[in-house]
Amino acid sequence: MPSNPSKAAAIVAAAEADEIGYLSNPKTDMMLGIEAIHNVCREAGITTKDIEGIANPGGANSYAEYLGIVPKWVDTTQVGGCSFQIHVAHMLAAVNAGMLDIGVVVNGQAGYSRRSFPRGAAGGPGGDALGPDAQFMTPYGVMGAPSQYSHALTRHMHQWGSTKEDFAEIAVSTRKWAMLNPRAVMHSKETNPNGGPISVDDVLNSRIISWPLNILDCCLVTDHGGAVIVASAAAAKSFRTPPVWIAGAGEAIGHATMLEMKDYTATSAAASGGRAYKMAGMGPEDMEMAMIYDSFTVTVGITAEMLGLTKRGEGPSLFAGGAAGPGGSGIPINTNGGGLSFNHSGMYGMQLLVEAYRQLSRTAEDGINGLPGKQVDAETCIVNGTGGSLSATGTLVLTVD
Amino acid sequence: MPDYNKPIPIPDPFVSKPYWDGAKEGKLKLPRCTACSRVHFYPRIVCPNCGSRSIEWIEATGEGYLHTFAVQHRASGGWAEEAPFVTAYIDLREGDRVFTVLRGVDPAQPEEIMKKIGALCRIEWDKASDDVSVPYWRVVG
Repeated sequence: MPSNPSKAAAIVAAAEADEIGYLSNPKTDMMLGIEAIHNVCREAGITTKDIEGIANPGGANSYAEYLGIVPKWVDTTQVGGCSFQIHVAHMLAAVNAGMLDIGVVVNGQAGYSRRSFPRGAAGGPGGDALGPDAQFMTPYGVMGAPSQYSHALTRHMHQWGSTKEDFAEIAVSTRKWAMLNPRAVMHSKETNPNGGPISVDDVLNSRIISWPLNILDCCLVTDHGGAVIVASAAAAKSFRTPPVWIAGAGEAIGHATMLEMKDYTATSAAASGGRAYKMAGMGPEDMEMAMIYDSFTVTVGITAEMLGLTKRGEGPSLFAGGAAGPGGSGIPINTNGGGLSFNHSGMYGMQLLVEAYRQLSRTAEDGINGLPGKQVDAETCIVNGTGGSLSATGTLVLTVD
Repeated sequence: MPDYNKPIPIPDPFVSKPYWDGAKEGKLKLPRCTACSRVHFYPRIVCPNCGSRSIEWIEATGEGYLHTFAVQHRASGGWAEEAPFVTAYIDLREGDRVFTVLRGVDPAQPEEIMKKIGALCRIEWDKASDDVSVPYWRVVG
């Protein structure tokens, strides 16, 4: 049962950057924030490696990577100047829930130094013109997510002996689900000239975007709106709609830029998924369906391995011969048609949530969002979102009574 | 120089200054922690391995090994006319990793490049402007 978070946590140290005010030697946002973290850790008698959770408006990924830490709790809530009070409130709740013991709320902001930055340099954490991406990645012509994720697929093929054909099966399986979803962009020739069934050969012969990724390995770019309501157990009883219980939740950051991804065939979903399973008291063997972020086929394959749904290196095998598709012999995966064939608006995690709710609440065949054959009989579902460049992950274990 | 039509990075004049100063002389400079002796890249004011803020700069060999790659068929600006071209991650001899455009390989034959994963690569510098030289890597092994 939930407990009152009052006094579940305390602020135990506070510090600032080495110098503040009008700096004679300019510093970036990141430098100022890192100095403050370093100093607060010294004051508290811990090292940066003891930090389990990190909060910053928009920049938690970049701070974690810069420090070389892999936090298990993150908050990048960005609502302006009061964001930090809200981060503290979130952290209190998370500590009360047992999700972390030591977290840091940080900010660095070069309001004055910014004036002397080189022309064209913005200065925000991570995404700025003086940051690692702008200096060491974008000069080499990479363009968007596919141009980076492709490097992960190459490495998967090298390291685990997988093939482009194996990953193409993921796109084929996901398209079959889309054909049962009238709202899927690729439902049929009626919804899109390129809709309807596809084969492995179709995937392999489609336009190359960033080898080894062809365009049918890549998600759509669409519009979407979605929302879910979360209610307490007591309040849930008063709803006319059925509850789908959040049995487990976990989060993690592996890195921010792919430059810092240690193993291109592994993501932090192993960590966030492990935490979600632990909270739920369940394991991969208990999952009866999966909703896995499919920005690209490679994202799904790797994530399935990280979530323990199959062995390392064998992610695509879950989809072989239509096993994860409608009526398949394995657990159903991405039953809405996925980001690959249903809808991907840029941040696809909402679509995952909506479909997981529909499936577990037995409302997946309403004629608008699903046709006969789409509803699966699962009572448990693992949901995993992946953000950035295979960077951050959030995992939920959902169940019904 | 005027013919360098690719994006020219804006050197960070604070943290990465020694790197870009070295680049102008055709030298690969890398940050190394004096506490744990580990090299890291991209440059930071704190060691991502041990958390120390005591960082020195060393001159590296300019050698590394191909870790993974992709063939970019879609690009913008100056890179559009180069497509398809090969991007790659290189494991530095001194440790940690850099990103680059890889030379000495045929973008039309990615299966052949697959066989070069792990092969020795060497750095070479393109003078992009009076102030900035950009490193590229070539498969030599």
